[in-house]
Amino acid sequence: MELIEHGWTGPDLEPLRRILEERYRPRDYREAQELIVGACQEAQRLYGWVPPSAAQLIADHLGVTANRVYGLLTFYADFQTEPPGRHFLWLCHGAACHVAGAGKIVEYLQRERGIVGRGTLPDRSVTIHVFNGCLGVCDLAPAAQLDHHEYLAHLTQERFEHLLHDLQNDGAAGGADGAVD
Amino acid sequence: MGRLTDRAAFETYAANAQRRWEALWEDRSWVISVGISGCSIAKGAEQTFQHLALLLADGHIPTVLRRVGCMGLCFAEPLVEVKRPGEPPVLYGWVTTDRVPEFVDTLRRGELPTEGVLGVRAFEEWQGIAPLQQHPFLRHQRRLLLEHAGVIDPESIDDYIATGGYRALLKALFEMTPEEVVDEVKRSNLRGRGGAGFPTGIKWESGRRTPAWPKYVVVNSHEGEPNVFKDRRLLEANPHLVLEGLIIGCYALETPFGYNYIGGEHALALRRFQLAVEQAYALGLLGDDILGSGFSCHVRVRTGGGAYICGEGSALMYAIMGQRGQPRTKPPRSVEEGLWKRPTVLNNTETFASVPLIVRNGGSWYATLGTKDSTGTKLVTMQGPVRFLGVAEIELGMSMHRLVFDVFGGVREGYRFKGVQTGGVSAGPLREDELDIPVDFDALTPAGAMLGSGGFVVFDESVCAVDFARYLVAFSRYESCGKCTPCRLGTPALVEILDRIRYGFGRPDDLEVIQYASKQIIELSLCGLGQVAPMPLLGMLERFRDEFIEHITEQRCRAGVCPMTASVSAIP
Repeated sequence: MELIEHGWTGPDLEPLRRILEERYRPRDYREAQELIVGACQEAQRLYGWVPPSAAQLIADHLGVTANRVYGLLTFYADFQTEPPGRHFLWLCHGAACHVAGAGKIVEYLQRERGIVGRGTLPDRSVTIHVFNGCLGVCDLAPAAQLDHHEYLAHLTQERFEHLLHDLQNDGAAGGADGAVD
Repeated sequence: MGRLTDRAAFETYAANAQRRWEALWEDRSWVISVGISGCSIAKGAEQTFQHLALLLADGHIPTVLRRVGCMGLCFAEPLVEVKRPGEPPVLYGWVTTDRVPEFVDTLRRGELPTEGVLGVRAFEEWQGIAPLQQHPFLRHQRRLLLEHAGVIDPESIDDYIATGGYRALLKALFEMTPEEVVDEVKRSNLRGRGGAGFPTGIKWESGRRTPAWPKYVVVNSHEGEPNVFKDRRLLEANPHLVLEGLIIGCYALETPFGYNYIGGEHALALRRFQLAVEQAYALGLLGDDILGSGFSCHVRVRTGGGAYICGEGSALMYAIMGQRGQPRTKPPRSVEEGLWKRPTVLNNTETFASVPLIVRNGGSWYATLGTKDSTGTKLVTMQGPVRFLGVAEIELGMSMHRLVFDVFGGVREGYRFKGVQTGGVSAGPLREDELDIPVDFDALTPAGAMLGSGGFVVFDESVCAVDFARYLVAFSRYESCGKCTPCRLGTPALVEILDRIRYGFGRPDDLEVIQYASKQIIELSLCGLGQVAPMPLLGMLERFRDEFIEHITEQRCRAGVCPMTASVSAIP
């Protein structure tokens, strides 16, 4: 709602439409159903979330109902139906990260920032997603992934607070060459 | 290169690929291979690659710069292998981008970098550098699935074919009947690598016996547990091996429909497997009438959306069908009624990757590896403060003590070993005095532990048993699909009790309540994941009961992890 008040009319659906027409061409209704999740992944990748208009486009393209698409969007943790902040931070909460201290950061998020599992800071600078699984980079534990490409290693609560602070002021999170120790 | 239409055409193609492969290593150019996989990208291997490319071009050094997969040596990433003319390939670890200029300079002077030398990829020592297989991490391993990992380029089908790839498929298609393939797999006594350990051959046979048509063969590459990352490394390092196993599986079931379901968060594994499928289609190893054998096979890749439950068989099939991934009651089992209500054979990535080896070398050869009832090798990952973090491939039956202390090098300096969590989130831990136990499918179970999919977590004295148990149960709570009541309501109840204990409000009868509630969840849950959800807690409780009691009676956490606040308002 807030976005619409700011004169935002919705995402540009053209790129999604192109991808769907190129690569999501089901031969029958069964295959159409198999492709829903994949199509939602494409929308998620393009927009950082799955806007209602994109969900409708996917439903129309594959010949299913928007209900069906939303059933999946709300079931799977990868999909967001709310617009994210400027940055996206995946905080790994795998077992290796937990034994290395990620639990403390998760509790900090809950206590000081009011974020349980997933949430966006009030200034919409960062969306934080506590990843209930393993990013597979256990050597860097506790680790986080910023904007889907940059990794942050050996986090502590203090370093995490700094990181959030930097991101809120749109500073760089760290060096550009991979993990930051 | 067009589609290959018969066996002879493949043989010619393979001979050419092999010649090119050998020429690469005998050439006057340098060959530099950089390991690019999920874990090395995180440590900046892509930057190392770019930096190397820049400096080598600058120095006018004729070089073949290659991207290879992951060797499983995550602790030493980024890995760079250097082969100069007339020398054997030497593997260097920790080559971060800031080390690259000095690294290239040293090499150009004809010298050998002294830092981060891991070994020489040859059988004999060279220039005082020991062979790679004598590295402490690799010495105790038996690498079959990972044999070419980190050596071949996973994005090149030619590399795979040059190193013997698709030979097993040829053998199956032209020299064996589907029944013989199933017999061979039965003889190998290969058991499912996903956790349950069900004999693969028997599953395939019952899939064959079910008369309904069509049938489906599905690879489970979902891998959503919080402490396992072996399947995605395998897919990143050698996707064609899994694909070959899948095609052979389709042949054994006489069906043209193969699927691979890959977790959506494993982006690189997904991309490389998809590429492998495209390459196989282009070469005629997938599609209609493969190499003129009359057998057709079509592989579709499907992705998940990040739900742990989709690793469960029936949930995975619903997920593929575009439904919410929730399990259903069994029977009927999926070999009778699976995908689209048709017979479906579902196996783990690693299981399929083992199939080409079995077909090529025979089931009885495979059965000599490992122990009598747990044959073959297993990929295992170990996390926590161990010296060599990474993916290892061991022969089943190795003792847990050797696995932790020899293969993975034991705990790092400054840490004291407390226990090792087994079976992902589905079983209990083992204490130090219990490590004299073979790692296989059966031996761990009586001890309340489990091999599972091979994910272990070592934890040290700074980890509180109550807190860790809470973490493991909270994982199951979060991932509960919500279909059945015992799991949906039972796991939050357990977390609530554990939180009470962690905050110092534990009640004297809490441990009994835990036992009682766990029993209900285990007995009444619908699917395997609910039935094992309380296992880690029960295991922790059995092994570290003192710590639980200390928390409750003395409000004391000896690891200093639990909040133990006195005020009620602190409870979240």
